[in-house]
Amino acid sequence: MTQPFLSIRKLRKAFGAITAVHDVTLDIPKGEFLTFLGPSGSGKSTTLYAIAGFQDPSSGDVLLQGKSLLAVPSHKRNIGMVFQRYTLFPHLTVADNIAFPLRVRRRPDAEVKRKVADMLAMVRLESFAARLPGALSGGQQQRVALARALAYDPPILLMDEPLSALDKKLREEIQAEIRRIHRETGVTILYVTHDQEEALHLSDRIALFRDGRIEQTGTGEDLYLRPATDFVAGFIGNSNFLAAEHLETIDGAATIRLGDGSVVSGVNVNGTFGKGQRARLMVRPEAFRMERNPTSAELTVEIVDVAFYGERRRIVARTAAGQELDIRPTTAAMETYNSSLPRRQVFFDPAAAFLFPA
Amino acid sequence: MLLDYDRMGWLRVALLGFTVLVAAFLLLPVVFIVLLSFGSSRWLAFPPPGWTLKWYGELFADPAWLEAALTSARIATITAMLAVLIGLLASFALVRGHFRGREILRGLLLTPMVLPVVVFAIAIYAFFLRLGLGGTTIGFVVAHTVLALPFAVIPIATALEGFDKSIEDAAIVCGASPLEAKLRITLPSIRIGIFSAAIFSFLASWDEVVVAIFMASPTLQTLPVKIWGSLRSDLSPVIAAASSLLVVLTLALMAVTALLRRKFRT
Amino acid sequence: MPAGFGGLLPALILVTLFFVVPVLALLLRSVTGPEPGFQNYATLLGDGTYARVFFNTFLVASVVTIVTVLVAFPVAWMLAIMPSALASIVFGVIILSMWTNLLTRTYAWMVLLQRTGVINRTLMDIGLISTPLPLINNLTGVTIGMVYIMLPFMILPLVGTLRAIDPMTLRAAALCGASPFDAFCRILLPLSLPGIAAGGLMVFVMSLGYFVTPALLGGTSNMMLAEMIAQMIQSLLNWGLGSAAAFILLVVTMALYALQLRLVGAGRATGGV
Repeated sequence: MTQPFLSIRKLRKAFGAITAVHDVTLDIPKGEFLTFLGPSGSGKSTTLYAIAGFQDPSSGDVLLQGKSLLAVPSHKRNIGMVFQRYTLFPHLTVADNIAFPLRVRRRPDAEVKRKVADMLAMVRLESFAARLPGALSGGQQQRVALARALAYDPPILLMDEPLSALDKKLREEIQAEIRRIHRETGVTILYVTHDQEEALHLSDRIALFRDGRIEQTGTGEDLYLRPATDFVAGFIGNSNFLAAEHLETIDGAATIRLGDGSVVSGVNVNGTFGKGQRARLMVRPEAFRMERNPTSAELTVEIVDVAFYGERRRIVARTAAGQELDIRPTTAAMETYNSSLPRRQVFFDPAAAFLFPA
Repeated sequence: MLLDYDRMGWLRVALLGFTVLVAAFLLLPVVFIVLLSFGSSRWLAFPPPGWTLKWYGELFADPAWLEAALTSARIATITAMLAVLIGLLASFALVRGHFRGREILRGLLLTPMVLPVVVFAIAIYAFFLRLGLGGTTIGFVVAHTVLALPFAVIPIATALEGFDKSIEDAAIVCGASPLEAKLRITLPSIRIGIFSAAIFSFLASWDEVVVAIFMASPTLQTLPVKIWGSLRSDLSPVIAAASSLLVVLTLALMAVTALLRRKFRT
Repeated sequence: MPAGFGGLLPALILVTLFFVVPVLALLLRSVTGPEPGFQNYATLLGDGTYARVFFNTFLVASVVTIVTVLVAFPVAWMLAIMPSALASIVFGVIILSMWTNLLTRTYAWMVLLQRTGVINRTLMDIGLISTPLPLINNLTGVTIGMVYIMLPFMILPLVGTLRAIDPMTLRAAALCGASPFDAFCRILLPLSLPGIAAGGLMVFVMSLGYFVTPALLGGTSNMMLAEMIAQMIQSLLNWGLGSAAAFILLVVTMALYALQLRLVGAGRATGGV
């Protein structure tokens, strides 16, 4: 087996009685864009800080190409990092900020100059070289921070919620920039965010954190289409959870009874359920159809509200059991929809539904 | 990582050690003087050959010390009241007012704090000699109020700047007169600033030496003048006893400040 | 009358009548006493004796400022980042020292530093020296006593400056490859410089005009300006010369104070520290 490029082994970090990270283990191949996604306090930043050397883990190890990083002080780890807050050196110009890591490495002046020019070109801020950080917008500051972090060609780039202080439009702009730079440089990126959309747009792979543990690791599609737990299903994308009763499971496909008594066969199932065990069925709002097809299951609902969301509509519906559903059919699918019928059937494909423990 | 207390390693040990040394340096004279005041050696030998209360006895036996302390207390109290009152009015004008030259006027009021006291001392000394106010309580109070005013204006103006005026406006909308709103809403809200102003302006007068040396007359001298005179003649342990009482007073003021701050915060 | 101006009147009357007017009268006296003209200034600036006093004043103020900055910086650094329970003890000590009567503190140093004082005794007892060191009535004594008084004025504002620096900036520097030494020289020190300059200038200005401590701990051979002014007026009754010297002190002080205001103001304007 080939040695993983970066390897996090059984990492644990406790602050007094509180354990922020439990037993995190993860291998990251070279060149990957991996995102630590999770709510605040889930341990993703703590894990990143252990890699950066800002915090010593209570136990476990971080290996880069087979060698432990833990005994190496931060300034010798040769890791790049972009922070949540603007951490440009306020007394140095943009060019001097980018030159800083090269100067402390005592690189020759000519090389520093050339590299700074390259980096400024990479983040497209050539004309800002002589400005002080205070005269830059938030987005520009983070681009300089990116240039500074990559100026010394670190094998790994850590990014700790670098876009959280920016507005939406700017965030999307810089996301595209980060993707381009990842493509161009091939640097391995560990990216921390609590924003699932950001994680889905950027990453090759996502590690979803919850309460100091990794809940699931996989591509964005894996997490969206094949959530391992109800937490993953709830965190990535939108979801409806319907009360259900498990009847039987054959070859990973379960048969269940819903609250209105209807029986649905062929839903995805994670874990094992006993006969009659109470469970929850997850159906994405986008998975609901307004038209029947041969394999679909159906639900009778009362339409409470319909709102226009551009390419989709958002319907608030209530089941016979009184549970509210979030349904998002495409606007095209709604053309034949008769809004005068308050009660009607909606449909979903059992293969797009997942059964989780209650 | 130079600002991460938990990750500084040996550097933290070195810096902490240095900080402890400096704290000891700052504490040394204060502790030393208190110990010395109980030492039995007239020549201030340390450690003292024995312990005694006789310097305190001599201190209280000499009516000049008590009189000087009372004079200082009287002058400092009147000064503090005047400085807080004038400072309060001035702070409202400086913080709330809209007129040209506000910054210059603020600078003017604060200048007595910056100007070397000796310059002010000889200026006011000469001035009061002509007015016949030299060596009088009024002369002392006026001169000390000028010196104490910046120490009153700064904390009050700072507190007032931190107070949201719309709360006062809300009180007026509720039916309070502007004066009533200030008295019932604004003043209680900035009481920490007013209290600090009172302490600082009291201390500014109570500890003031230079103006006092020039202004003092044989019949009217403040405590610092009395200490100054004794220091120039000899280093008697009686001064240590008087100084120790001043240290106790400082500690008492610090305790009151800390208690009130805690009370006001909640 | 402009809005809200009335409240300033009592303060303005007080300060004008009992500060501005007396100081201006003093200035007037420096060019009129004993006869009109600038001969007082000519005497002060031309005579070697006075030049020595001016030189001494600047020397003492400079030494005191440098020592104060060097001692205050590490303390302020620790105070800015240490756990608050620990820091509040140190702050307590600083406030106690600052609020204790000036003469009390100076008296303590007189006793501690004298020939037969504790410090000389201790050094002799442990055999470091055989004859007492001259610690008082000279530059050493003034420096110790003045640094003692000035330390709080340097430490307290510097803590504010250092607390305003984001620790993340230093972490970023470390991850960029800066050793602690590099991070200190290239980041922490430059970022604290506005605070050091402003505080240092304040200490320098205060030291220039200080009277009590130099008068009690200094020697006759290194008299400072404030003491000389007091002597001219009190002992020699030479009002003209004393006023002129006072006015020189005033001008130098106010000029440096204006410079300090500009430094602090500039720091605020750039949003740095």
